[in-house]
Amino acid sequence: MDSKNEYAILTSHLTKKYGNFTAVDDLDLKVKKGEIYGLLGPNGAGKTTTIKMLSNIIKPSSGDATVFGGKIPEADIAAKIGYMPQETGVYLGLTVEQNLKFYGRIFGLASKDIERRTDELLKFVDLTDWKYEMAENLSGGMKHRISLACTLLHQPQLLFLDEPTVGVDPELRVSFWDYFENLREKGVTILITTHYMDEARRCDRIGFMKHGHLIAEGEPLELLKNSGMDSLEDAFLEYSKREGKVVT
Amino acid sequence: MKFYRIMAVARRVSRDVANDKRTLAMLFIAPIFAMTVFGLAFSGDVEGVDVVVVNQDQGFTTSPGNIVHLSEKIISNLDTQVLNIQNMSNPDDARQKVVDGQASAVIIFPENFTQNAVLKTQNPSYPDSAEILIQGDDSITNIKNSILKTANEALYDTMTQEGITPALNITSDPIYGKDAEFIDFFVPGILAFVVFLLTTLLTLITFVGERSNGTLERVMASPITEGEFVTGYAVTFGILGMLQVAFLLIIAIVFFNIQVVGNVLLAFLTVAILSLVSLSLGILLSSLAKRPEQAIQFIPFVVLPAFLLSGIFWPLQAIPDWLRPLSYLVPPTYAVEACRAVMLKGWGLDRIWPDIMALLIFAILFLALATWSLKRRD
Repeated sequence: MDSKNEYAILTSHLTKKYGNFTAVDDLDLKVKKGEIYGLLGPNGAGKTTTIKMLSNIIKPSSGDATVFGGKIPEADIAAKIGYMPQETGVYLGLTVEQNLKFYGRIFGLASKDIERRTDELLKFVDLTDWKYEMAENLSGGMKHRISLACTLLHQPQLLFLDEPTVGVDPELRVSFWDYFENLREKGVTILITTHYMDEARRCDRIGFMKHGHLIAEGEPLELLKNSGMDSLEDAFLEYSKREGKVVT
Repeated sequence: MKFYRIMAVARRVSRDVANDKRTLAMLFIAPIFAMTVFGLAFSGDVEGVDVVVVNQDQGFTTSPGNIVHLSEKIISNLDTQVLNIQNMSNPDDARQKVVDGQASAVIIFPENFTQNAVLKTQNPSYPDSAEILIQGDDSITNIKNSILKTANEALYDTMTQEGITPALNITSDPIYGKDAEFIDFFVPGILAFVVFLLTTLLTLITFVGERSNGTLERVMASPITEGEFVTGYAVTFGILGMLQVAFLLIIAIVFFNIQVVGNVLLAFLTVAILSLVSLSLGILLSSLAKRPEQAIQFIPFVVLPAFLLSGIFWPLQAIPDWLRPLSYLVPPTYAVEACRAVMLKGWGLDRIWPDIMALLIFAILFLALATWSLKRRD
């Protein structure tokens, strides 16, 4: 029997409708504490909407969701969450450092902690030399790196990362994933969306989403084995054919 | 230059507009709105100016049993479309009405008005002339001029009808706005207008940016509350509004030599509250726009009512009667009125509080709506 305490995220019949369109349909999702869970699926499958509901950015139409056992709008839960939007979520009129300072302050970090974390994270995302540069002068990939640094600044216990490696060069993508795995070792839970299958393979578990449903869920190798396919792309297509029942 | 390429671009732009139904609607609604508001606000002359007439004229007996009162004839010749006339007997009470802002002027006919007029007509060397005393609020030049013009026309008509040959005179003794010029009237209005316009539009554009580049999402996923976020904006824009006013006032005083008889800090307070109203309006409007170009469509609806209905360039009395109630739905109206009263009449908080209250109600209402718009999270 599962203990509720072992889950960072639990949803029950979570649904989001926009008029007649159902973006997320009756979603039951369980993400264990300290695991990297990847949400995969085509555009419009409901991945981003799910993350936004779990981050308190949009309200569900129906159903329940708890994060660390609490209802999502609770302020102490928000403090434990780090959300990285698909858009950069960076103030273009501020310098890299000013962006990090702002996000550090709204999470209540002390100035010296913000400074320390800023230096650590800029080194990690390889932007130390750009610390005082205006964000608007940086490339798309660099803005994504600032965005990730802003997300990690307050050392959240749960990360919602919506396509965090878009526009990031392959070398840095690898180092991002090394960092994510390092965070997992420290007990951080990560819910991530991605279109890169090599990244998906590094997740502890994957959920395939289509039309707002979870059509399959499990460890990457398990999903490959059960689908009888060699790649996750083919596995997704196979599960799409069997759509209707969640396979775990 | 290839025609097919030009048409490809033209088609693309047309489709872009056609796909955005709101843009399409705005292309037609905005000009109609602009024309209507401009036309209606401009077409009205000054009307309905409250004046108090104190008629102390004892009249003159021209023959036994025949007492002439020229003052009554003049009063009956006053254009009642321009002037809202109230009669009072005590000049001090009448003057107090002007002091309190309940009337724009007192028109006083002295005791010997008719007597002097008749005797002067009979004997040009008669030493005393017939004079009407107008004591008014001259800070609003359009209204001052309208009262004088109306009084002069009534005098002229009476002189013609009664065959009074020496000129009947009007003496003006302003209660407020002595030597005031149009610039003195204009500056307090423009202060409020500039702050309202810039703050609303700046917040609107900034918030559309917050919504479209993901920063608002990131902020809303943090422990910060919607109220804290809006208040943070309010602090910055309140301070910016006051700095704008300080800057404009310095220029107006140094270069245009405008009159400031009241406490400038009160004008600052008024404008600071107006900037809260403006930023809340900007946030509210931003919730209706997904892209910056959609935000721009709101500009006529923000600018025109404030420009035309809030009494910046002409007094509310110059706006048609039936349209005037709309002026009181436009927040800058109260700020313009309060700034003008403070700077030109030297009024204090004890007298401008109704305007401040109105602005505070707008500020609270709009701030609540702005916060609610952030909480909707559809």
